[in-house]
Amino acid sequence: MFSTVDFDPERPDLTADTETQNEIFIQVFNSGDGELFNRLYRDDSISNFSGEPLTGAARLAFFKEFLATEPTLEATVTHAYVAGDAALIGVDYRIETKGPDGAPLHLEGQCTDVLRRTADGRWLMAIDRPVATTGLVAD
Amino acid sequence: MAQLTADLERHTSQYVEAFNAGDFAAVDKFYTTDAVAVWEPGKPLTGDARRAYQREFLASRPKMTATPRQVFVTGDTALMIVDWVIDGVDADGAPERLQGVGVDVLTLGEDGVWRYAIDDPYGQR
Repeated sequence: MFSTVDFDPERPDLTADTETQNEIFIQVFNSGDGELFNRLYRDDSISNFSGEPLTGAARLAFFKEFLATEPTLEATVTHAYVAGDAALIGVDYRIETKGPDGAPLHLEGQCTDVLRRTADGRWLMAIDRPVATTGLVAD
Repeated sequence: MAQLTADLERHTSQYVEAFNAGDFAAVDKFYTTDAVAVWEPGKPLTGDARRAYQREFLASRPKMTATPRQVFVTGDTALMIVDWVIDGVDADGAPERLQGVGVDVLTLGEDGVWRYAIDDPYGQR
């Protein structure tokens, strides 16, 4: 896997550094490995990528299916605030993927991410909330 | 989940009540000690700077209404998207209406109380 930031794939740490978070998130997303991507989240974390709030096994199943077609993500951080063991990050995202008919599909919008520092000191995704300006996943 | 969501919606209404009473000490209890608030976009405040800003803001007795639009809650972390309006006065004492879509991160304390960790009133463009 092409890597711009070193991290432990078994025990990833998104860190408290916004640019590091963004780099790890993008490269894991673009790896197409839904199981690895799911490790960026805690068990009870909520992902709204599918358009529905998913957690646990349902979230993992969605990530595996969604990333299996190897969509590509680009994301630019717009704002980031860290308060003790919680962080709020805003990004502009663009995803190139395929629709159900196999035709190219472009998604873009703004995503709000909440991260928490876990008991072992790693930072992981707690909640993501994309709001699309085009394509899927709207309010 | 439904119970947690109800708890958080009650949290919002209790916050609004303290805010509209102009009671800074009560309002401050709704925040974690290291909370970040962004009442002016791009200018996050924390600690004493956050408290000083809020104490001064409440002194002019602004009135807020807030309606939660979306709530996402995990075991110890919540994200609330809230439509809010504040009627107050500007620097010259003229009536001024502020409004926005707030993005709030709440964390559950060891004492079982939810508090704002990050308060980003203009968080959704």
